[in-house]
Amino acid sequence: MTHLDVENLTSDYLEGLLGAEVKRELESHLRLCPACLEMVEDVRQAMELCQAAPALEPAPWLVSRIMLATVGERRPSWAERLAAYIRPVFHSRLAYGIAMAVFSFSIIVNAAGISLRKVTVGDLNPLTWWPRADRAANLYLARLEQFASDLRVVYEVESRIQQLRSQAEEERKTPKEDPPAGGSSKTAPLRLPALAGNAAWVGEPFGHTGPGGTNSYSTP
Amino acid sequence: MEQDQELLNRCLAGEDSAWEALLSVHTRRIYNICYRFTGRVEEAEDVAQEVFIKVFQTLRSYDAAQGSFSTWLNRVTRNHLVDHYRRTRKERATSSLEDELPAAEVKSGPQLEPARPLESRERRELLQRGLDKLSPDLREAVILRDLQDLDYEEIAQVLGVPQGTVKSRINRGRLELGRVLKRMEGVRGPAKAGSEP
Repeated sequence: MTHLDVENLTSDYLEGLLGAEVKRELESHLRLCPACLEMVEDVRQAMELCQAAPALEPAPWLVSRIMLATVGERRPSWAERLAAYIRPVFHSRLAYGIAMAVFSFSIIVNAAGISLRKVTVGDLNPLTWWPRADRAANLYLARLEQFASDLRVVYEVESRIQQLRSQAEEERKTPKEDPPAGGSSKTAPLRLPALAGNAAWVGEPFGHTGPGGTNSYSTP
Repeated sequence: MEQDQELLNRCLAGEDSAWEALLSVHTRRIYNICYRFTGRVEEAEDVAQEVFIKVFQTLRSYDAAQGSFSTWLNRVTRNHLVDHYRRTRKERATSSLEDELPAAEVKSGPQLEPARPLESRERRELLQRGLDKLSPDLREAVILRDLQDLDYEEIAQVLGVPQGTVKSRINRGRLELGRVLKRMEGVRGPAKAGSEP
């Protein structure tokens, strides 16, 4: 194999495209010829340098510049136009605002007693729906007050029962004193604990009065 | 390839977003070919832009039966680079003389830089300067094969020459590049080609 043959076969050799026989001949030539060996090594290094070279990133505005030079200002597609309309709806603040508006509207409509299935022109007149809304609001308020009042009574009764139980427990634990001679064998009547707020607040829990007009939970 | 064809059909239907998508896919590769060929960032950007303007104007002439869109785009790029090279030959001759001056000074200087491994940036510059020294025929063959990793058949389609010619040009280009780099490294100090992290 001549030097010129080696030169012509260098690329194929380095890319592994040579047949076994030719490759053997070429390698035996390289063992005997330092100049050819050096040349092959130079080419190998050049190929490695090329293959290791990273791809360069073009300037970020290049695509925009080409777009401007070819189609000018880009026209948005139908899908993009539609998305542009819909996108603000998914914005959290706007979505929250819409939800709150719907919620408020539904409360007002409900309070005004307007049936959305049978909306009439008269429903738009404030003189028509205001008294109904006022009545409904008062009713809700009254129910709320009643509920709060009932809740306080229940807690009061519970706490009083608790006190009675603990009092009875204490008396059972304390040693019994011998009754004085000739005294009565009857034990003293159970002393009821005083209510925390007494009847002033227990009062009349909005329409709940006991027989005879007094509060059924008031202390005797 | 199928994606390219779909984007092309949408482009031909007048959809700008498809053209933008096509650009996003191919701009980087075309810019790299242009940069390796011209060796200047601004020039490569201008040439890449001109290539895509030409592609946009001749999009209807692309025939899928003749090969992939990518190959067609490479061919348009290569033809445009050849035209560009011819247009700027005089200007290049002047500037290449200027480029030679610093190297000549280094060669004739009494003290050479001490031997040290080349940094990544220096290696890139070295490669680019080496490529610049090759003739356009050899340079484009080496760029397409070793930097763009195209196979021989595709390079033959892009360059419009038989595969045998492609192989010959690549081999001669590599031999020449090896010699040029060796000369340049002799000036700057030895470098290990595979030592880049």
